[in-house]
Amino acid sequence: MTVTTQTVTVTVDGVVVEVPAGTLIIRVAEMLGTAIPRFCDHPLLDPVAACRMCLVEIEGQGKPQPSCAVTVSDGMVIKTQHTSEMAEKAQAGVMEFLLINHPLDCPICDKGGECPLQNQAMTNGQGETRFEGTKRTFPKPINVSAQVLLDRERCVSCARCTRFADQIAGDPFIELLERGAKQQVGTSEDQPFDSYFSGNTIQICPVGALTSAKYRFRSRPFDLISTPTACEHCASGCALRTDVRRSTVMRRLAWDAPEVNEEWNCDKGRFAFPYTSEGRLTHPLVRDEAGNLGPASWPEALRVAAAGLAGIGKSTAVLTGGRVTVEDAKAYASFAREVLGTNDVDFRARAVSNEETAFLANHVANKPMDVTYGDLEAAKSVLLVSFEPEDESPIVFLRLRKAALSGTTKVFAVAPYTSAGLAKMKGTLLAAGPREEVSVIASAASHLSGDSVILVGERAAQTPGALTAVAELAAKTGAKLAWIPRRAGDRGALDAGLLPIDGRNTSEIVSATGSAVKGLVIGGVSPEDVDGDLLSAIDKAQFVVSLETRHTEITAEADVVLPVAVVTEKAGTFRNWEGRDRSFAAVIPTPGALSDADVLGELARELGKSLSVSDFWASATKPALKADAASTESVGNGQAVLSTWRHLLDKGSLQSGEPYLAATARVAVVRVSPATAQKLNLVDGGTATVSCCGNSASAPLIVTAGMTDDVVWLPANSEGSSLNLPSGCVVEVSQGGN
Amino acid sequence: MSLSESTRVQAREIISRYPQARSALLPMLHLVQAEEGYVSADGIALCAEELSLTTAEVAAVATFYTMYHRKPAGEYHVGVCINPGCGILGGDAIWEKLSSRLGIGHDEVTPDGKISLERIECQAACTHAPVMTANWEFLDNMTPESAIDVVEKLVSGKEVMSTRGPRIRTFKENELTLAGFDDGLVDEGVQADEQMLAGLKRAKELGQSAPGVKK
Ligand code: SF4
Ligand code: SF4
Ligand code: FES
Ligand code: FES
Repeated sequence: MTVTTQTVTVTVDGVVVEVPAGTLIIRVAEMLGTAIPRFCDHPLLDPVAACRMCLVEIEGQGKPQPSCAVTVSDGMVIKTQHTSEMAEKAQAGVMEFLLINHPLDCPICDKGGECPLQNQAMTNGQGETRFEGTKRTFPKPINVSAQVLLDRERCVSCARCTRFADQIAGDPFIELLERGAKQQVGTSEDQPFDSYFSGNTIQICPVGALTSAKYRFRSRPFDLISTPTACEHCASGCALRTDVRRSTVMRRLAWDAPEVNEEWNCDKGRFAFPYTSEGRLTHPLVRDEAGNLGPASWPEALRVAAAGLAGIGKSTAVLTGGRVTVEDAKAYASFAREVLGTNDVDFRARAVSNEETAFLANHVANKPMDVTYGDLEAAKSVLLVSFEPEDESPIVFLRLRKAALSGTTKVFAVAPYTSAGLAKMKGTLLAAGPREEVSVIASAASHLSGDSVILVGERAAQTPGALTAVAELAAKTGAKLAWIPRRAGDRGALDAGLLPIDGRNTSEIVSATGSAVKGLVIGGVSPEDVDGDLLSAIDKAQFVVSLETRHTEITAEADVVLPVAVVTEKAGTFRNWEGRDRSFAAVIPTPGALSDADVLGELARELGKSLSVSDFWASATKPALKADAASTESVGNGQAVLSTWRHLLDKGSLQSGEPYLAATARVAVVRVSPATAQKLNLVDGGTATVSCCGNSASAPLIVTAGMTDDVVWLPANSEGSSLNLPSGCVVEVSQGGN
Repeated sequence: MSLSESTRVQAREIISRYPQARSALLPMLHLVQAEEGYVSADGIALCAEELSLTTAEVAAVATFYTMYHRKPAGEYHVGVCINPGCGILGGDAIWEKLSSRLGIGHDEVTPDGKISLERIECQAACTHAPVMTANWEFLDNMTPESAIDVVEKLVSGKEVMSTRGPRIRTFKENELTLAGFDDGLVDEGVQADEQMLAGLKRAKELGQSAPGVKK
């Protein structure tokens, strides 16, 4: 298909160009390499012409016009500050106005050194002010959220932050309040700026009005060493920039990746990095004969680890966790299958199923990149199954919201209730609790066609039959299918073959440890994530080797602990949900820091072998996909079926050490339908307790209209809820609690 | 204190008048003032809830327009035009007099809650300068003395007629009118007076009409 774009011919500073009709003047100037000064203009936000900095002269029009808001028309003759005295004077005048109330505290302002106002005051201002009055001041600063602070006197009222919150994130909790000289950004007293994307406003603020509690007053931009990186937190695959000062990470920014995160990221990726320097293991640990874990040299630790593993070889299982780089994943795969000779290897640190193993092997592993962010934007409809994008892959959420608001894409979600995220995507709920999911998936065909995409989340493993139903739905409708896991390393791990083909899955490994499974090699796994009691499995194991970055419950129980590098210390690649490789360089080159792959290589050598880079999937026998049997456990009096997922900001270990971020986490609530509330005698606004198998959590109850009956929803492992059970469990729900 | 159920019903009635629900926000804020005497936090919450907006979005609108009060207005909200037209012809003197007599300044209320004062901008009524308003009804051609007289009548509960409009009712009653609920007073009192029509009369005498307008 050839797309014909209508073009128009315009003249900018005497240069004649042909550009697509509808292009903004400021963009045409950019194409010609002419920088028109600007504050409010942002290519990803709707024009607003709020700051008036970008005034240019258009022949035939009496007054200067804002180039960020006027589109070109055929024959237009435009003169920027370079060729028009009128434009130059207008810009200098606007700058003088902007500086009337601006504090000129650049030496103590975080933005100083990278500030568009500072820079453009130099290039397009006049150096002197004629204002002799008193500048407007405010008591400083105000918290628009726990993390984001606002110094109002620095604001130039460009409305970038408020437009971002409204147009991109869909969280219009910050607004321009008041008018005239009093105009200021603010929140309403009862609703703070509750947004997973709030940090972007700091980054796009063209002055130092918005700062983060994390970075405020910590360093000057010119002292930073910046490195392009990739986010290690989720499978969205954001490009980031990491800024380091004296070998310490000071901040992280969203970086440009038009096909992935555009110019945005989420607050987790932006702020959750203190873990990289906290509680780090500095040397190997080895358990001595008396059972005490003590420091050891690398050669000794490798020797002890090799000796321990040599004795049990094939009866060793390998749990890698989902935070591995592609390089580390390949090393684990080779180490498990070729060095140890075991097929008991699984990257999934969560509830798993053999149905999922077959699904991943047949429909995801090593597949070419055939569903991309661009495809989401172009799709007529997108069906979400066991997947809450705002919590589980924030950039997918932003892209779907953009597509939905543009009118191209309709979003449907198989979920128990209309989440805030779904509402922000103008999505349609196909209501289903865990027990209804399979039939609702099958009946969703009417919403799909060959121009559709089905996005299925990792939680589908918790619903027997769901993944089989999804595969059938895709085959029947011709819709494209993509699997979106939660962690950044999951897809790379899968492609490397860290899936138990002919072996035990995570849960089976945990339950067989002590009998068929004698030894464990464990990477970055948090015991509470695993469905099953990993800590007592470790207890029962004959020999446990832990590759970790920090002291954890697992390192405390292991026989040999081998410290590995965190993302800042090594180069590597994460493969995002699309299957796109996101490479990053070491931001703090650290002598002696070894990646998992380096350590496994050494260990293999110690065992007299070496790691290979064979393509596991080329020769793997993929198990046939068939639905696991649905649960038949009855739902008795006072009980409901649990539906759950984690909030984006949860109790995950990589978010530790960042209290301002933690303070912006959403707090848990319990949800049931009106009929279920009545049946279970639960009162809206009261406290409800959800419990099962010794695990329980209490949180405020919200009776949620339109929700599936006999289902109770509560976030897992999140602020206000330590509940950590898979969806589908039959749980007790009662009024009251603590 | 949350607003009454009847206010909520009226709010929904206002919403139903517009193709876009959000368009109802301005009259709804007047409706809130009709019950509360100002735009209260509860009122903001009600508007946000009924229109599916955040409270910040509602507050942005409520703080932009000066007709929305952030704290309770007096039973009679009295405006004195201080723009040049009125100011020079006596508006400044009226302001001085009223403000010192009542002991309150701009955007302040007398302790008994009867009168609040506002320095208002041009009301497009310069033909009648100096102009005052009481709950947004016109009081034309005022003097410092007539201003005091009117305010004293309002305080003591005597009926005051607008010089160009109906009798002056309380701030809350008037806010309900501004919210779009008919008070039946549309034809009461003087409508357009001689001063306003003088130009038109003269134009007719001279056979003038606006360019482009066919007779
Ligand atoms: S706080 Fe920054 S981004 Fe927001 S309006 Fe002010 S200058 Fe613009
Ligand atoms: S969306 Fe995911 S990849 Fe992007 S910054 Fe957030 S956690 Fe990182
Ligand atoms: S950049 Fe054009 S008006 Fe602000
Ligand atoms: S100046 Fe007062 S009404 Fe115009």
